[in-house]
Amino acid sequence: MAQTEYSTTANLPLETIWDFVQEMDNWAQLVTGYQEHVKESATDSLWTLKGDVGVLARKVQFKVHIVEWNGPERVRFELKGLNEPLEGEGIFTMTADSGDAEASEPSSQNWFTRMIEALVRLFVKRKQGAVERDVPVSGGSRLTFNLRIDPGGPMAPMINAMMQPAMNVAAEDLSNRILSELEQRQNQVS
Amino acid sequence: MTKADIRWDLEVDWVAVGSGLAGLTSAIVAHDLGKQVVVLDKAPKLGGLSGYGGGEVFVPNNHKMVELGLEDSIDSGRTYFEFISAGFSDPALMDRLFENMHAAIEYVEKEAGVRWLAVEGLPDYYYPKAPGSHSGGRYLSVDLFDGSTLGEWQTRSFLTPHVPQGVLHRELYEWGGLAKVTEWNYELIGQRITEDKRSFGPGMMGYFIKAAMIDRGIPAYVETPVEELIQEDGRVVGVRAKREGADFFVRARTGVLLAIGGYDHNKKMACEYEAMHEWNSATPPYLHGDHMVMGPEIGAAIAAVPPTNLAMFFGYNIPGEESEGAPLYRTSWECGCPHAIWVNRQGERFCDEAFYKDYQPRLRSWDGAKQEMPNIPPYLIFDQNYRDRYPLGSYMPGMELPGELVETADTPRELAEKLGVDADGLEKTLDRYNEFAARGEDPDFGSGSYAWSVRLTGDQSYPNPCVGPLNKAPYYGIKLVPVSVGINSHGLRTNTNGQVMHVRGAPIPGLYAAGNSAALLDLGGGYQSGTSNMRAITWGYITGRHAAGGE
Repeated sequence: MAQTEYSTTANLPLETIWDFVQEMDNWAQLVTGYQEHVKESATDSLWTLKGDVGVLARKVQFKVHIVEWNGPERVRFELKGLNEPLEGEGIFTMTADSGDAEASEPSSQNWFTRMIEALVRLFVKRKQGAVERDVPVSGGSRLTFNLRIDPGGPMAPMINAMMQPAMNVAAEDLSNRILSELEQRQNQVS
Repeated sequence: MTKADIRWDLEVDWVAVGSGLAGLTSAIVAHDLGKQVVVLDKAPKLGGLSGYGGGEVFVPNNHKMVELGLEDSIDSGRTYFEFISAGFSDPALMDRLFENMHAAIEYVEKEAGVRWLAVEGLPDYYYPKAPGSHSGGRYLSVDLFDGSTLGEWQTRSFLTPHVPQGVLHRELYEWGGLAKVTEWNYELIGQRITEDKRSFGPGMMGYFIKAAMIDRGIPAYVETPVEELIQEDGRVVGVRAKREGADFFVRARTGVLLAIGGYDHNKKMACEYEAMHEWNSATPPYLHGDHMVMGPEIGAAIAAVPPTNLAMFFGYNIPGEESEGAPLYRTSWECGCPHAIWVNRQGERFCDEAFYKDYQPRLRSWDGAKQEMPNIPPYLIFDQNYRDRYPLGSYMPGMELPGELVETADTPRELAEKLGVDADGLEKTLDRYNEFAARGEDPDFGSGSYAWSVRLTGDQSYPNPCVGPLNKAPYYGIKLVPVSVGINSHGLRTNTNGQVMHVRGAPIPGLYAAGNSAALLDLGGGYQSGTSNMRAITWGYITGRHAAGGE
């Protein structure tokens, strides 16, 4: 199992983040490696991403099913691979920030993880541009993104090891891209 | 451009252009002989093609064999090399190779910390059919390398998408070879990936990068393509490279080594030199044949060996699969396992598909009446027996195969029609093949008769590890395309010191070539796994010593 969590804050009302997050068309293209998505219903969608694990990249198609829709605080979804043996779960959590917790970094316990993270960040930066935000120290809202993926098949332990660094980058980038997009909109209005 | 026009940005003794085995061996040797050295590479990472491959180094009668008590001799190895070169080698260059290969690999072990291991039980390609061939031990590979010791180069050195990181050759065979890939110890592999323990090509290059860049402090500039050789009075005295968009002039007081691989990613050049209509490569996308431009620009001679006898594979790109930002082409090893064959457009087999040295020349067969190559493209045909047991590239059994690549049908006839192959021909071929395959026989092409194929890709649980009938629906087919592994037929002509020769016949002072940039006249184009790495290390050793006055 590969798992990551990224949490960060923004000077934005919870409702603003919720309004944006609840419509996947708003943020689909902000997902790392996004190729396309098709909405099948209010809760189901098909996604194609280009998954990059440092040494190779390949198109991954999967189905996303939203199992919890509890605005403006929480969205939980399950995902299932269509061309790869994988399953997983993702959770967006939005809370008013108390200022107690600091913006987290995805866990990077070892050299390899940090190395592949660096490679994937470089790739993402070249393909989708860098995400640079001024994260407020406290106040506003906190967006936390959890992602867990369980590859299947005999190679699962190897794929886990290859995928973990890329997932760290993906979680961080998606969270920051969403908030960056909203911050830009807010600045334009003000 | 002449020296008078130039303001040098950097002055050293030895400029190694390319950071593969040849470039780094020469850099290490020249440094150890007191020379000031720099390494320049076009790619964003160090390691070159050597860091992308299997990391085998083929050295007959190597010291690791001797330590294991495996009997071999230099003479026997030379006999085998004479066999694979088929009379196309330059005897003086082969002599020089044999005189230095052992010194070179032992030098990098003693002085650069490369931990060689003999690969036991993997035979020479042509064992036991060729004179001088050996049953196992001539291949060297490296022990696990700790990537965390590479400092800033840990993230800027090649890993490979072609083989799993952290698997030793010995383990690969203990786990059943490529046919048993589903049964490998992936817990162990995952642990080694997490710890950045490297093997195969990346592991091998890890030792060389550490020895050169970390232990010796040799500077390396990546994303710095060399575009021009600078001459003064006929001598190469430096290079013009591009660095961060600007000219970067490096003076070489002693010499310049071109060790930048072949020309796989210059499709026009590759198609013309290799005489093929299409060219794809499993190599990193930085091999553009720059040496074939810069050399001739100052009069360097190009030499060639027969492309028929090299290492051209056929394979496929799984749609959407990329490496280093370019489509990732995989070589097709499926026919090393049972239940898979190749056919041509007529639906006929034409080769021992399990042994690429057999299929390569037969693919190049020419129909003079029709003015075509009847066996190109080949079509890979397999059945559900195959899919129940073996992978297709990275698609393990049980995974749905990508429809953009693989045609699927309930009968061979339907499959043939989908592929555009003669249906009668395919049915007839399968009838005959299956009749013999049920007994583990292939009287037509002898699949499974080479011990190397059996060991590397065969399923040892079969009477013939490379042969099994195709009789379980559905049937699958793929139109294959050429996939090179970077071993090209043309290169710069060099002499016994590795100096590049002028078209008029004398060496060009100050200019050297090694690795795949140098024509394969030392082996006559006779290729065998590990010979490219061996000649890269050896000629890197020879050129570094010669330029530094060591010999």
